[in-house]
Amino acid sequence: MFGEAETTARFSNLSRVFQMNPTDKKRAPLSADIKALQPKLRDVLGTLEANPEWYASVYFERKSNQTFAANLKQTQLSDSTSSGVVMRIYDGHTLYEQATDQTELAALLKEAKELVARVKRAAGESTGTPMRPYQAVNWKERLKENEVPLDPELLAQIPADVRAETPVHFGIAFEEDPTTRTTENRLTGLKALVGRVQALAPACGFAEKDLTYLMAREGLGVEESLFIDRESNLSQTLYRVSLTLILMSGAERSANRFGGLGGTEAITVSDEKITEMLKDLHAMKNADRLKPGKYTLLLGPALAGVLAHEAFGHSQEADTCARGRSKAWELHNEGARVGNDLATILNSPAVYRNATEKSAAWGSYFFDEEGWLAREQIILDAGTLMPPMTNLTSALRLGIPRSSNGKRESWQNGVYTRQTNTYFSAGDKTYDELLGMIDYGFVGLNAAGGMEDPKGMGIQVGVQYLKEVKNGKFTGRVVKGPAGGDIQLTGYVPDVLNSIIAKSKIEAHSEAADTATHPFNDCGGCGKYHKEIVYAGCGGPYMLLKDQILG
Amino acid sequence: MITSPRWTLEQLKNELRSRSEVKGWIVTQENLHRRERYLLLDQGKLSVDQDREVNSQSVEVRLFVHTGKTGRQGEISKKFVSEKPLNEQIESSIAAAKETDYEAWDLPSDLPKDPPEVKSCDPFMAEDLAGALESATQEVSKAVALPRKTDFNSSELFMSIHDREVHLSNGLTQRSKQSRMYVEAAYSYSKSGRSDEYLHTAWTISPADISIEHLFQEASDRAEISLQTKKPNTGKYSVILDADVLAKLFNSTTFLLSARNEYLDLPHKNPGDDFIPGATGDLLTLTLDPSLDFGAVTVSVADQGIVQKPLVLVDKNIVVTTAIDAQHGKYLKKKPGTYRGNVVLEAGAMDHAQMIQSAPKVLEILQFSGLFIQETTGTFSSEIRLARLHDHATGTVSIIKGGSLSGSISDNFKFARFSKNRVKRSEFDYGVATGYFGPEYALLTDVSVVG
Repeated sequence: MFGEAETTARFSNLSRVFQMNPTDKKRAPLSADIKALQPKLRDVLGTLEANPEWYASVYFERKSNQTFAANLKQTQLSDSTSSGVVMRIYDGHTLYEQATDQTELAALLKEAKELVARVKRAAGESTGTPMRPYQAVNWKERLKENEVPLDPELLAQIPADVRAETPVHFGIAFEEDPTTRTTENRLTGLKALVGRVQALAPACGFAEKDLTYLMAREGLGVEESLFIDRESNLSQTLYRVSLTLILMSGAERSANRFGGLGGTEAITVSDEKITEMLKDLHAMKNADRLKPGKYTLLLGPALAGVLAHEAFGHSQEADTCARGRSKAWELHNEGARVGNDLATILNSPAVYRNATEKSAAWGSYFFDEEGWLAREQIILDAGTLMPPMTNLTSALRLGIPRSSNGKRESWQNGVYTRQTNTYFSAGDKTYDELLGMIDYGFVGLNAAGGMEDPKGMGIQVGVQYLKEVKNGKFTGRVVKGPAGGDIQLTGYVPDVLNSIIAKSKIEAHSEAADTATHPFNDCGGCGKYHKEIVYAGCGGPYMLLKDQILG
Repeated sequence: MITSPRWTLEQLKNELRSRSEVKGWIVTQENLHRRERYLLLDQGKLSVDQDREVNSQSVEVRLFVHTGKTGRQGEISKKFVSEKPLNEQIESSIAAAKETDYEAWDLPSDLPKDPPEVKSCDPFMAEDLAGALESATQEVSKAVALPRKTDFNSSELFMSIHDREVHLSNGLTQRSKQSRMYVEAAYSYSKSGRSDEYLHTAWTISPADISIEHLFQEASDRAEISLQTKKPNTGKYSVILDADVLAKLFNSTTFLLSARNEYLDLPHKNPGDDFIPGATGDLLTLTLDPSLDFGAVTVSVADQGIVQKPLVLVDKNIVVTTAIDAQHGKYLKKKPGTYRGNVVLEAGAMDHAQMIQSAPKVLEILQFSGLFIQETTGTFSSEIRLARLHDHATGTVSIIKGGSLSGSISDNFKFARFSKNRVKRSEFDYGVATGYFGPEYALLTDVSVVG
């Protein structure tokens, strides 16, 4: 359950951020050819609903990705599109899917009939297991009052008189249309960015020959999808924009990806940021090696996010719980404490403004790939585990409410419960106040991967390098791992979450009250154990932790 | 309006041939057929949570164009879609490619003669994928039914056939087929209110190369010891790594042995360099082998139309050559050859028992949580998910979980010893194919561990 005061405070913030009427914004439209596909998919749905006890749905996805790059020797371009239809039947026991890139009605109907035949053939195999029937949820149910209201950005796009057959389109808002720039314009901009890095390098201690490899890469993804079942007819279009900068000097590397969902405004890179990357690269070339041990550690938002994602992100995925593979389900049912009062983690695909950025966070959308509308969810509330995130079948298996976390790598892959944007809630300190609380320790800002251990409750958070702090001041010393590579933060998750000393505000470098609603979420990718990569945001405020095992 | 396919590969090639701006192309068509099953226990009965079938076809065109600049060319990699008119896609690709800028190069003018036959597809899977999945499901069912002290949690079974055709503008057409199978088993063990699990995963090209029964047994055995664990003491250890880890490490290090890296001024090794400076252990011999039976990267002819044959990259720790494709061979004025293949390492002389006895304390890693490797520096690190600590002073074997290990290929493989037994590994994690045939174990010294 939400704390009453906290809920009120959060949503009064929300109304402040969306001063502009959400209906007035420029939004990503649905392509005409996909719009024309919608009625055909309704015909296919009719074929899939061959048995009144079955729940059927149809999902279509088209992802177009363009990548433009410039390095010191080349400019490059790649352009890929993948689209397909997923037909689904859930018979109360098993979810059956037939996925195809055919989009002609006759071909789809043929595949739909084959799927129906496959489900009928399998009938009887589930004898002895409980039937968990499911019926499509109508709009009245979808929109009924909930302790966490739907975001105004999402609500604004639903017609007032919405019914089962009403096409409801959600488009990501943008200021500068990212689809209209020419290839020449993009490549020229990337070459200029590489030039800016070279121009700023001398002031950061680099001679021209020291920077051996520079690369700037711009990504544009146009992701369109349809979801149709008996009670809904949804579509959405997301613009995913990113800019990746890689700077190398010999074997040392500094890399950063900027971006979000929205327009070109999400990928501007300041000289200040480039200078910071160059200084980091210079520091890494002269870094010492960390003496393994326990240290006070101040994590930046990206690393706080990896900690949230690996700690009680993965273990709060209900399909993992349903497989008996997560300790979190047991601990939730016991009401056990697994962290202190500062340990609050949220997951939300509805982060339509990422901290103070102009774009939505990387893991956002309006509905998931099973047609469930995006909504914020607290998964760890001041150290106490709340119900996990779900996809359709795991919610039914565990008998808990659905959430908008049914995701797949692409239309060719299966759905799992997946994280969207996972982040720690904000605190009340400024960055300087947190730094001042360190007698001896380190600051870590750059993530280098992480790994979950939902059953064993271990954790691994990779850190590229650390900056040493004594008596609240940086000493100028930088350390890498004991063997010269990444540093690993490891431990037992409840121990780590009980060691949080303090957290910053969202706008940590200002003493004024926060104007943003959500903490910053970094752009990332997430695998289910070692495969099935999906986009994910992770973040939080700056967080100070004591006695962290680093090696 | 999305409609049925409007064009064929022949039409695509004919259109490309007719455009004066087009200098060359590599067209790759892949037909995919995949079956998947996700299994778990539902009230004690093995049940299918999801059952999936996927059919798709993709066409990727790597298009080379004249840009009017001497010694330069343009290029684009583009996926063509069947629902859009061919000319529209070609026109936009040419226009975009003209905006890019590469040093010019050409596809080989000689067509491969008598390309070698390779084994890359399991015939039973190719003939009857549904039957193969059913057969594997039966094996899983039998393994789950065995009485054990542990609890079966879940399993995933994926099987697919990838049918590829590559068409080059120099006239070459090359067809190949690959089968892929993924199996995972998760078992947990509970005692006195505590529980932990072990997840075992395996990729293979041929189902005959893995034993589902063994995989499930080992997952269960390792789950059973997962509650007897303690953290390691911080310090330096002799460490045994297994083939799963070696496959990852040595596939990553081939990054340093490519002509592409040399051209782009990325970190790389040159012929004559020590692969591991100052190595005095079992000196490494590394071959890029595209001919390995049922390897993940087993190919006859690579995408640029060059026959792929086994190529020794490192011979007794000395770099002999690098992997050179046609493009980077032209840039660097080097003869192109093998640039795709499975990593094959020569065997050492030790067996597993000797490795365990090799030092007063030996840490044998059974599984890392997430092994992260920096290709540019050859450093690696991970949390320890499960390990055995063989302490010969006390005569004990303890089970270790937690803490992390940090190493570097250049430091920690200096005195490495390899096992005489060799094994095959395949992997398609995150869609990237890597193959390995080499020592089942390696023994490293002075590896930093924090507990």
